[in-house]
Formats: sequence, structure tokens, C-alpha cells
Amino acid sequence: MDRENGGGERRPARTVAVTTARRAARPGALWGIVFGATIAASAVSYDSAFPTAASRISLTRIEGNTAFEALFGPIRRMDTVAGYTAYKSGMFLIVLAAIWGLLVATRQLRGEEDAGRWELFLSGRTTRGRAAFDAALGLGVGAMALWVPTFVLTAAAGASSRVGIGSGASAFLASSVAASALMFMAIGILASQLVPTRHDANLLGAAILAGSYLLRMVADADPRLAWIRWLGPIGWIEELRPLTGSRSLAFVPIAALVVACVAISVRLASRRDLGASALRARDSYRSRTFLLRGQAGLTLRLTRPVIVAWAAVLVATGLVFGLVVQAAGNALATSPGIQKVIARLGATSAGAAAYLGFVFVYAAALVAIAVASQISAIRNEEAAGHLDNLLVRPVARWRWLAVRLAVGAGFVLLASVLVGAAAWVGAASQHASLGLGRLLEAGLNVAPPAAFVLGIGALCFGLWPRWAIGVTYGVIVWSFLVEILAALVNSNHWLLDTSPFLHVTPAPAAAPDWRAGAWLVGLGSIAALAGVVSFVRRDLAGP
Amino acid sequence: MEMAIRTQGLSKTFGRTRALISLDLAVAPGEVIGYLGPNGAGKTTTLRLLLGLIRATAGRAEIFGTDCQEDPVAVHQRVAYVPGEVNLWPSLTGEETLHLLGRIQGNVDEAYRDELIERFGFDRSKKVRTYSKGNRQKLIVIAGLMSRADLLLLDEPTSGLDPLMERVFRDCVREARERGQTVFLSSHILAEVEAVCDRIAILRAGRLVEIGTLAEMRHLSALQVDATLDGSVPDLSRVPGVSAVQVEGNRLRCRVVGSMEPLVAALAQANVRHLVSTEPSLEELFLAYYGDESGPGADPDGS
Repeated sequence: MDRENGGGERRPARTVAVTTARRAARPGALWGIVFGATIAASAVSYDSAFPTAASRISLTRIEGNTAFEALFGPIRRMDTVAGYTAYKSGMFLIVLAAIWGLLVATRQLRGEEDAGRWELFLSGRTTRGRAAFDAALGLGVGAMALWVPTFVLTAAAGASSRVGIGSGASAFLASSVAASALMFMAIGILASQLVPTRHDANLLGAAILAGSYLLRMVADADPRLAWIRWLGPIGWIEELRPLTGSRSLAFVPIAALVVACVAISVRLASRRDLGASALRARDSYRSRTFLLRGQAGLTLRLTRPVIVAWAAVLVATGLVFGLVVQAAGNALATSPGIQKVIARLGATSAGAAAYLGFVFVYAAALVAIAVASQISAIRNEEAAGHLDNLLVRPVARWRWLAVRLAVGAGFVLLASVLVGAAAWVGAASQHASLGLGRLLEAGLNVAPPAAFVLGIGALCFGLWPRWAIGVTYGVIVWSFLVEILAALVNSNHWLLDTSPFLHVTPAPAAAPDWRAGAWLVGLGSIAALAGVVSFVRRDLAGP
Repeated sequence: MEMAIRTQGLSKTFGRTRALISLDLAVAPGEVIGYLGPNGAGKTTTLRLLLGLIRATAGRAEIFGTDCQEDPVAVHQRVAYVPGEVNLWPSLTGEETLHLLGRIQGNVDEAYRDELIERFGFDRSKKVRTYSKGNRQKLIVIAGLMSRADLLLLDEPTSGLDPLMERVFRDCVREARERGQTVFLSSHILAEVEAVCDRIAILRAGRLVEIGTLAEMRHLSALQVDATLDGSVPDLSRVPGVSAVQVEGNRLRCRVVGSMEPLVAALAQANVRHLVSTEPSLEELFLAYYGDESGPGADPDGS
């Protein structure tokens, strides 16, 4: 919006496309870097983790394992760098790209409409349908911005003789990830026309994503049901088989879905009223004053949907880890290379426990992201002016922030217990010999880094409110990349100390280091306290 | 006497912009004061300082003897605030919002709340996000008035309300005064201020330029003089108190501050056929403060 009038002669319709493109391209490029780095890290680490032919052959044992394939998609050619990389990063990145695509699309369309900014565009020389189409074009630029760094980093890693992934295969992989983002952008655009709020559009999109993920799980669980894969968007991405086959046929339904969603959206946008939805929304609601007794109750009520959604994600993640632990552990037990990687992170056990210790790094990152969403919510409450309504009444500032942070801290605790418990349920169903106590400990072990992130977020919120969200997510991305680096190289470089994830042991592969955990929690608490003090002393800051 | 509002040298600077410059103000309990100023004059900045939402760069502010920056919670127990720009939680209904804000504020007069809902014709069953600007404003006005606070801080409270609702609002302010509540009404709707306020404070570019009753202000400010002469209009540029001279043939229009005598003497030789002097309306007073004199740099942030 900042340079709306700067173009002078620029047609308003173009302005929608350019503005949307600018807003989507920045996060797109950032995620592209994270995706590219993740893929590159898997590719580069393969050689050192599985140096011998025997260790590579041992990996192929998980090919055809139903539990694995149901969760991660078909596993092929695990004795090659390409096959291993496709398995390691494939489904994880595809789902992340889909979530990002959905969120960015609903923000740029329904979110802008909710905020009343869309009508500023529409009062210019454009129409409702045209503006929706141009926003779709702008989002397309965002998907391109995701593609470029994904491709460049994959190709750069692939150029090494030990990796050997060609630029064509790299481009195909990047296209698969970007296609996932693009499809869910299109779904987000359509959902923004169908329902009356961004929140509802996100729920609708998430339901489609979950449904499509389930379809492909069913398809991958039983070869006779493979055709079901063709029924949903995630299945199509899987049919592309990046790195392990590069079959372009599935781009046809992908392109058709994108075109159809955009075409229907443009038509709906030009027919419906601004602010209304194609599906009729209820006019009146029965008021429920449940929890609305004060600030703490309000916080719980406002954050409840987010907390429930994250809890579901974390339970599903823990369950997945648990379900595959036995098969993965057996495969890993025979690989000295991967043992070395896990040992670099501080593991002392082998087999199933080692595998869980390794993947719980992802759980730690997820819990930290979930906590960062709380910092986001805190800052948005202030930026949107909602906080004013409380602070002009007898609510002390320190109390408001303390309650919000306490909810965040409680959430960390809940999240970590859930991950551990869910992993135990999954592991127990596979008869893995990992006790509930040990996995609950492993779950609690991911809490300290998240608590530290919460504290840093609170400090930024107190000192530089407009930077708080960016810095908090930045700390997580940085820490995660450093963690990946630590798994790849033998080093005691001080840089590695900057990642809070590296200060906790990879439980359950090693005993939790509660002292280090207490340090992280202590530092986080001090940062949070400083954040509260700064917040009490500063001006409230608008957007 | 304990003042409802007292500020001393209250100042606020945003970066290099001086939004409020050394404000000295005293408002007695039970008084209704209008706080006038164009956009960016520092009205909202003053209110946000009084509420402790932003920190003063210099000076202090007290409400009923309690420091606004030191103990905002104690201050807020006696204050109700109605903002001009409403940002409520979009997922709550009107009823839920009133319930929540009432619980947090305390001292809600439930019968009065229901009466207000009735008088403003407010439908509380809808979600906040579906309300029009005017309905959102009604909601926040009801939330402010329902607590019967000792001091009402109103920041352009009728923006978005239709004329009928504006009238209901004015009635509510009058009733508040009758009950002994103090009202601080920041506005640029002059008719509203003229209708309900005992005293008026005028702010320009962050400075308080005038404060007093409307009658006092009229007395102190320029009279509009229209005259028709038989002869040509003499040179009035050196006549004390006379400004804004406009001459059209043998007709004269000018402004006079202070005594009329020098002007009458200057015109005496030209044979005055017709002379009318008019007291300025609040609108003219307002324009006199801003229209001609607003110099450069008179556009600080945060109205």
C-alpha cells in the first residue's frame, strides 16, 4: 500500500497484482531458502551418513514398509542420493508449502477484505473480478519466488560429484514443491470467496489439505488402492515423483485445478457483494459469555482455536514418529553413518531411540513455531487496536502481558507432553520397547528451547514491537538451520551455540540434560521479565 | 479543590514531531469541556496520555489527583473512554463484547445499559465484524456510558453516527452532566461542542491556544464588520485592531479585535451609510484560529 500513488499513470488493476506480488514474494523467497537448505542438507548428508554400499542397501529395507509409505509417501531407490533426498524432504516440504500457499492467499484476499483495505482497490479503476484475478497473478509471483531459491540451492548441492542431482531434476523437484504451494494458493483464493472470514477460509482450506493427505495415505497403504492417489492434490504431487521418476503427467490435473479455482473465484468475486460470501453466512448468533469474565478468560477464548489446531498437529506428528519408529530404528541400526550424524547431535543410544532422538528435533522446531504463533497473536492484538479496549479499563499492562505469556508457557508444556505421549502411543502400537516415562521425558525435553523462544519473543515485543514477529520466527529458522549444519559437520564452532535446540540432548537417544534445560528456561524467563518491564514503559504501538 | 483533570507542562514528542507541547489544563469535577482542534492538532495524543497508553515526554497529568502515568489502573477505575476509531474483537458478538467490557470495567449500571441499547436501537446479537461503522460506534459508546464513571473521556465519539443518534448521544451527555459526571469531549464537530459544553479548549499544532466559555471567546475575538460608505473606503492599514480588509467599490468588510473606536474614527470622514457588526460563531472562531494562521510544521502526527 505504501507506494499506492507513486506510480501516477500506473493502472489500478496492475497495482493489485504488484502489491500482492510484493507481499507474497518476500515470504515466498524466505521459505524457498529454508526449503532449498533442507533439501541440500539431506542430499549432502547422505554420502557421509551412508558411505558404504552395504549401509545404503540396508536403507532400502524400509522400501515397501506400509507404515512408512502411508506416512511419507512411496519410498523408492533409497540406495541413491536422489531417492533418499526425495524421501527425507518430500512430503514434509510439500505439506509446508501447501500450508504457506493457503495462508498467504487467504491473507491477501479475504484478510485484506476483512480489514477493509480491499475496497480501496475496488474504488479504483478495477472490478471485483479483475482484482481477484490480479491478486491471483500476484500470488503466482510469490510461488515463483518460492521456486527460485529451492531450485538454486538444490542444484548447487546437486552439482557436487558425491551428490549428482542434475539441474533438470532439481528444477523438477522445486516445481513439485512450488506446485503444492500454487494449488493451495488457488484453493485459498476460492475459499476466500466462499466463506465470510479469513479464519473460516483457512479452516476450509485446511480441511481440504487434511482430506487430501488422508486420501494419499489410504492410497499408499495398499497398492490395490493406488488409484485413489489421483483423487486429491497431495496425491498428484506424489505422482510427479520428483527425483525418483520425474513424471510430468500429474502436472495436468494440477494446472487444471489452479485454472478452475481461479476462474470460479473470479466469477464468484464479480457476482458477490464486497464483504459477503458466496455461501450464505448466518446473520445473528446466540451469544455465549463462556470465559468472558476477564482478561485471562478472553485470552483463553481467543487463543483456543489456535491452541486446539496446534495440539492436533503435534499429536499427529508424535503419532507418526511413534508409528514408524520400529522400522526406522531397524534400518538405522545397521548404518554406522547415520549413527555418526545422530551422535554428532549428542545421541548415545542406537536403533529406535536414536531415530526418535533425531526426529524429535523436528518436534522441537514445531513446538517452537507453535509458541511463536502466540507472540504473533500478542503483537497482533496490540497492532489491531484490540488491546486498547482492555488497557483503557482497569487492567494493568504487566498483568495483561504476564497472562498472555503464562498461556504461552502453559501451551509449551501441554504441547511437549502431547508430542511425547502421542509418540508413545504410536510406538506402543508397533511394539517398540520405549516406555511412556522415557517418551514423556523426551517430549518435555523439547519444551526448554520453546520456552527460550517465548522469552526472546516477549523481549522483542517489549522493546521493538514492530519487529517482534519477524525476530521470533527468524530465531527459529536460524536455530533450525544451525541444527542441520551441526548434524553435517564435526565442529565446536561458537556459531552452533547460538541455536537453543543444540543445547538440549536428543532425547530419547540420550538422557535429557535437565541442567541445560533449566538454563534455557531461566534465560527465557529473564528475557520475558525484561520484555514485560519494557512493555510497561513504552508507548502502545499501532501497525 | 481536587480537579477531575489537571495537566502541567504535559508534552509528547514522536521522533522529531512535537505532537503536544506543554499543555496546562484544569477541568473541575462536573464540568463538560469541549476539546477542539483540526486533524493532527494533538487531541488524541492528549487523551492517550491521560489514559497512560503512551508515555509523556515531559510534564505530568492527573485524574482526580492520581498520576495517569504512575497508576493508570487506579485512574481507569474512575474513567470511561470512548474512542473515535473502534477496533473490537471481530469474532465476538455485540452482547459478548458488552458483557466482557462490563466485567472488566466493573460498576456497570445494568438497567442503564439496557436503556442505552434501547435508545440507540442497537442489535447486540450480531458479530462485531458484521457491524457497520455506525453500529460499532454505538457499541463502544454504550460500553463507555454504561459504567457511570466519574469522568467520561470522549474522543470524537459520534463519528459514524447518524444525526438522530447524534442527538441521542447529546442527550446522554447532558444527563451525565446532570448526574455530576465530568465530560471531556474531544471533537471537531462544532455544533456538538456548542450544544453541550460549558467550556471550550482550542488546540493548534500541539499547543493550547485558547480556553474559556464560548461567551468569553466571542468577547475576546474579532468582530466581523460590514459597512457601506457614501465615499470611497479610506486606507485602513494603519488602524489598530483592524485586519482582513476586503473592499468592493464603496463596500467594506473587515475584522476588528478590541475596541471599535479607531475604526469608527477612521470611517467618520467617509460618511457611513450602513454598518453591521456580528459576533463570530464557534465555526468562525475555529476558522480564525486555523484558517489564516496555520503556519508550516503545523501537522504533527497523532491527531
